[in-house]
Amino acid sequence: MKISQTASRGWDMDLWVSGILRIGLSLSLTFITCGLVWKWHEVGAIRFDYSLPKTSVLQFVLEELHLLLRGTFRPRLLINLGIAILLLTPYVRVLVSVFYFAMVERNRKYTLFTLFVFLTLTYNLLFR
Amino acid sequence: MISPSVLIFVSIIAGFVGALSGMGGGIILIPALTFFGLDIKQAIALSMISVIATSSGAASAYARDHLTNLKVGMFLEMFTMMGALAGASITVVSGQRFLFLIFGMVLLLSWGMSLVQYRAVWKPASRQDRFSQWLELEGKYYDQTEHRVVEYKAVRAPIGGVLMFIAGMIAGLLGIGAGAVKVLIHDLIMKLPPKVSTTTSNLIIGVTALAGTGVYLSAGFIRPGLAALVILGVVIGSFLGTRLFVRLSNQAVRWFFLVVLLALGVQMIWRGIRGVA
Repeated sequence: MKISQTASRGWDMDLWVSGILRIGLSLSLTFITCGLVWKWHEVGAIRFDYSLPKTSVLQFVLEELHLLLRGTFRPRLLINLGIAILLLTPYVRVLVSVFYFAMVERNRKYTLFTLFVFLTLTYNLLFR
Repeated sequence: MISPSVLIFVSIIAGFVGALSGMGGGIILIPALTFFGLDIKQAIALSMISVIATSSGAASAYARDHLTNLKVGMFLEMFTMMGALAGASITVVSGQRFLFLIFGMVLLLSWGMSLVQYRAVWKPASRQDRFSQWLELEGKYYDQTEHRVVEYKAVRAPIGGVLMFIAGMIAGLLGIGAGAVKVLIHDLIMKLPPKVSTTTSNLIIGVTALAGTGVYLSAGFIRPGLAALVILGVVIGSFLGTRLFVRLSNQAVRWFFLVVLLALGVQMIWRGIRGVA
């Protein structure tokens, strides 16, 4: 027997949290592994050391998508996408929690709390 | 410059020992990376990003088992997140020696705590203060070993919040999860049952580490090629560590870990005093 602590109107938030984290992490690890394997296949080493300019997550993601659209497909792209997905995983978890507290549980207090976390993270990740 | 094979090997070991000891990978990873010549600020940034991966993995499993308290997590997350932003910003501007010293001290503190072998015997709080009640900080879970439903109420939310800010600050400053500090606050101050405090702490760590990573990313400390190897290594290591955990005796793990912690702590403080070479 298992008891959900945060379930309301047939929506089990615990399972959503679990699912988001698991899918995000698996996707991220898959991209990173593929990028490393590809690099290794190409040059026989997994060494690629490059630094990023001071950047926000938004710029980082947009730049990768831009490269992808231009057809510049290389191992670095997969690695960067994997890292971006990893960073977005807890972020999406918070976003979905905002929706849960606002729309499903209709809990004003916790909607505000999660919204505060969400907006602070948004500012921190996207607009610095 | 640190070679990729050393980097991934060190990360696997750190994840492995971190999972075995329950302290997380960062506390081993950062001293090891600096030992192999990586800049401490970069080591901190790499560790911070790997913490997102390990905590997400653990938090996912715990949430599925309905052990995590989402409201406690969401409330405390506000504080740890702000703490991590402050801590990481301090790291960006501070000197190397300061970081070595602080890291060494936190290591020795964890060493001391493991030595005393703190074990909380959980007793449910008899009555809840009004603020914690207003925050709806309560819950229940099904205990698989005791075969019963455990109900609990969290207390002293305001003090808990302030202390969690400090825990978040340590996490952001040093690029570690600081899970042990968080669990201690949940157990001793807020009177959460051990199972709930460990699992909820994992959920909180994800957001805390993300806030810290954001600061390090905008400071230009993250090198994706290195981060990829560290993330993969730590995840593999902690996966193996969790599997082995059931088979090894607790005492063996404990003594091994105590020796490792002490050596690392002394080494970090020594490098802080002598100046970083």
